Amino acid sequence: MNWPPSLLRIRIRNNNIRFSLWLPLFLIRPFFLLAMVILSPLIILCAVLMWPLGLSKPLLLTGPILFRLLCSMRGLEIAVENSSDQVLISFR
Amino acid sequence: MTENRRQILDMLSEGKISVDEAERLLTLLEQPPSGRPSGSDAGEGGKTPPKYLRVMVEEDGESGSERVNIRIPMALIRSGVKLAALIPKQATNRVNEKLQEKGICIDVGNLKVEDLEQLVDAMADMEVDVQDGKEHVRVFVE
Repeated sequence: MNWPPSLLRIRIRNNNIRFSLWLPLFLIRPFFLLAMVILSPLIILCAVLMWPLGLSKPLLLTGPILFRLLCSMRGLEIAVENSSDQVLISFR
Repeated sequence: MTENRRQILDMLSEGKISVDEAERLLTLLEQPPSGRPSGSDAGEGGKTPPKYLRVMVEEDGESGSERVNIRIPMALIRSGVKLAALIPKQATNRVNEKLQEKGICIDVGNLKVEDLEQLVDAMADMEVDVQDGKEHVRVFVE
């Protein structure tokens, strides 16, 4: 099973700014799990209410698919640079 | 693999290793044990499915060189296609209309993961390499 990315690295460099940041995404996993547990009854209630409109299935599937999308972001890397500026965004 | 990654992160949080050392170890973990198979190498032996789509653009302008290097996990593309399947039909029709206005005749509602798998398999042996004067664009999978 794929796990969500553990670290987000952001690096911005230009003539004025020299900025490098490691965001420990693994630290917010418990909060994310807690939010999911709290929100799930609300989502199920919304799905029941939206059943006549035919929107309940997309509503129920959105959460798991978004979570899978988040998990699959591990390894995503975007690096843009020119002679003076450099931007790097990397999910690890 | 996940266990190793967790150990590295634990060592980092405990201050046993520096950020640079953690980065180096994580990079080593991402590499396969026997070197890095590229798209063409993967086709020679046991065919391993490509993991990343790479887009590299290099341009030598008057103000210096510009580089774009993007690595997109294949899993992210697959998840994106699955997400597209959740778009309501009314929204899909509007998206299709707007795409057709732009001259792109794609039915977003017909995007399927199986079709994408075939495309990814076909891309394993493909590499787009365009060089036009000062610009160099490469699209390949690895």
